[in-house]
Amino acid sequence: MTATERASGVPDPIDLDRAEEARLRTAAGLNAPSQQRHGEYAGFEDIGLPDRPPQTEREAEVYSLDEGEMLLNMGPQHPSTHGVMRLVVKLRGEVIVDIDPVLGYLHRGIEKLCENATYTTVLTYVDPMDYLSAMHNEYAPAIAFEKLYGIETPRRAEYIRALVVELERVSSHGLMMGFLALDMGGLTPILYAFINRDEVVDLLSAISGQRMLYNFFRVGGVNFDVNDEFLSRLGTWRSQVLKNIEMNEHLITDNEIFRGRTIGMGVLSGRDAIALGVTGPNLRASGVAFDVRKAHPYSIYRDLEFDVITQESGDVYARYLQRIAEIKQSIHLIDQIIDRMPHGPVQAQVPGIVRPRPGRAYAAVESPRGLYSVYAISDGGPTPYRFRMRDPSFISLQALPKLMPGHLVADTMAVMASFDPVMGGVDK
Amino acid sequence: MEHLRRPRPAAHPLGRGRSLTTPVAVGPLVRLLTERLGARARDLWTDEDAVEIQVDGQDNVEVLRTVRDDPDLEFFFLTDAGAVDYGIDAHFEVVYHLFSWKHPAWLRVRARVQRDDPRIPTVTDLWEGAMFHEREMYDMMGIVFEGNRDLRRIYMSPDYRSFPQRRDFVLPDDAADSAAAGVNPLERPETWDLGRLRHAAGATFAPAEFRADAPAEGPHDGAQDGETAADKSRPR
Repeated sequence: MTATERASGVPDPIDLDRAEEARLRTAAGLNAPSQQRHGEYAGFEDIGLPDRPPQTEREAEVYSLDEGEMLLNMGPQHPSTHGVMRLVVKLRGEVIVDIDPVLGYLHRGIEKLCENATYTTVLTYVDPMDYLSAMHNEYAPAIAFEKLYGIETPRRAEYIRALVVELERVSSHGLMMGFLALDMGGLTPILYAFINRDEVVDLLSAISGQRMLYNFFRVGGVNFDVNDEFLSRLGTWRSQVLKNIEMNEHLITDNEIFRGRTIGMGVLSGRDAIALGVTGPNLRASGVAFDVRKAHPYSIYRDLEFDVITQESGDVYARYLQRIAEIKQSIHLIDQIIDRMPHGPVQAQVPGIVRPRPGRAYAAVESPRGLYSVYAISDGGPTPYRFRMRDPSFISLQALPKLMPGHLVADTMAVMASFDPVMGGVDK
Repeated sequence: MEHLRRPRPAAHPLGRGRSLTTPVAVGPLVRLLTERLGARARDLWTDEDAVEIQVDGQDNVEVLRTVRDDPDLEFFFLTDAGAVDYGIDAHFEVVYHLFSWKHPAWLRVRARVQRDDPRIPTVTDLWEGAMFHEREMYDMMGIVFEGNRDLRRIYMSPDYRSFPQRRDFVLPDDAADSAAAGVNPLERPETWDLGRLRHAAGATFAPAEFRADAPAEGPHDGAQDGETAADKSRPR
C-alpha cells in the first residue's frame, strides 16, 4: 500500500497502471515488467538504458557508460526532430560523446503495401513518404513503371512533371532555411518560409487538386494539364518569389549569431559523404558535384541548361548556402521549362490494370533531399513483385554519429536541421 | 487523338524500348566487366540504362571491391542496396546499385543468398553507408550480414520476432482470423494459421538461432569446453 492509498483510501493510479501492464504483457506472452522499485521520480534513473543485454558490438559501445557520462533521450516527441525520431545522446557534461538514432516510430510498411497494390495505386502510396516533396516521390516510380510497361510519355507531360518538381524543390529548400533558423531559436524566418511555401502549395493545388499529397503523376503522363488558374498564379508567384527568398536570406545569412553557430559546425568531408551515402545538396555542400539530373539525366533534364553548384567547406553554413543557390537555380529551370513547353496530350493511353512483362527497372531522381530511387520487379502480374525505395534522408541520418561527437547538445539540432531529414521518408 | 494512334516504340536492341531515358552505350562496360570479373559475374544482362550481373553471395565483397577500385570502372557510389525474396522454394537476393562517372549506366549487382541459411558478408567495410541498408534488410528480410558490427533491427522494435517483408509473412487480413486475433496478432507467429499458405510446410519465419525457443549454443550435456563425444565417454 502506497502513501497515497494510506492517506486517502484510494489506490494509487500508477500502481493500477503497473498491474494492468503486467497483466497485458502476460496475456501477450511477453516477459513480465521489471520489478525495480521506483522512487519519487519514477523511471528517471533508467532513462535510455534498454532492459536487455546489448545485441551488437555497437549497441554495447553506445549504451555502456563510463564515469561521468550520461544518456539523454531527445525525442521521440521533440519539436526539432522534424518528425518522430529518438536520438539517444551520450553526454559528458554538455559535450556529446556518442549518438544513436532510433527510428521506426512512423514505419508504415509502404514497400509491403505496394507489393499488394496495382501499379497505378502504388503512386498514391508513395506520396506520404517524404511529405515535403511528394511530387518527387511519385516521379521515380512513374519512370520505373514506364520502363516496365515499355511506354512513351508525351512530351508535354514531361515538361509539366519537371515544372511541378522544381516548384516543389523551391518550397522544400525554402522551408529548410526557415527550419534551420527555427531550430537555433530564430522564430521569424520560418514564418516567411511558410508564406513562400503556401504560395507554391496553392499553385500545386490549382494543378492537382490537393495541397500536400498530390497524387498527380500517372504511369505514362500526369493527371491534369495546366489550367488558367495555375498559369496566372504562377506568374504572380514568379514575380514575387525571389523577393521573398532574398528577404529571408537577408534575415539569416549575415546574422552574427547564425554565422557563429553554423560556420565550421558539423564539417562533413566529401570522402566521408560518399562513403556514408549522403546525397543531394548535403553532398554538394561538401564539394562533390553529383547531381542525378546531370549524372543520369532523366526526363527532359538533358535539354535544360543548369550547372551543378557546389560549396567547399561542408559545414552547416555551406549546406544552408547550397539550398539558397539551388532555389535560384530551380527558378532558372522553371523559366526555361515555361518557355519551351510544347503543346499536346499529357497522358499516354494506358489501361487501368496492366500486367507488364516480367522484368526489372531502376529509376533515380534528384529529390530536395538527395538521390531517391526505386527498384521495381514485375513477375507478369498486376502488382509489383517487389518495390524497393531508397530514401535519401534515411541514409543521410547515418552522418549524425560521425559528425556530432565533440559538439554541444544544442548543436545537435543545428546539424540535424542542416541535413533536412523528413521522418515520413526515413521510416517509410 | 494523335497520341492514341502513335505506334509503340520499337524495341531497342539492348532491352525494351522507351524514349524517356536515352539508351546509353553499355558495350564498353560489358566488355570491361567480362574482362575484370571473369567467371564470377554470371548472367550479364543489359537494360537501356543499366547493366546487371549476378554473383554468388560469398563473392559480393570481392566483386564490389573490384568494380569500385578498378581504375577503368570506378563505381565509387553505392546508390542502393535492397533485398528481394523470390519465394519459399527459391532464394533471397541482395541487389546493389552502383554509380560511376566513367560509364553512363547504372551497375546492378545481384548477389544470391540461400534461403535456409541467409548469410552474406557485409559491405560496410567498403561503404560505411551500407550500414542502414543492411540493418533494414536484416529487419525486413532476416538476412544476416556477417561482419556487420551493428546488425540490429532498425524499424521494428527489438523484441519483434518475424521478418515482415518476406513473401510468406501473413498480412493483417489473414492474422485477424487466427487464434491470436486481438493480442498483437502479427507479433505471435506461433499462433498463425499457416494452413492457408500455399507452401505452409516449408514456411520459416526466423533463422533457427534467432527463435526464442531455440536451444542455446554449445555443449550443455555436462561436457566441458572443447570436449567431444569421444572425450566424454572416456573415464575421467
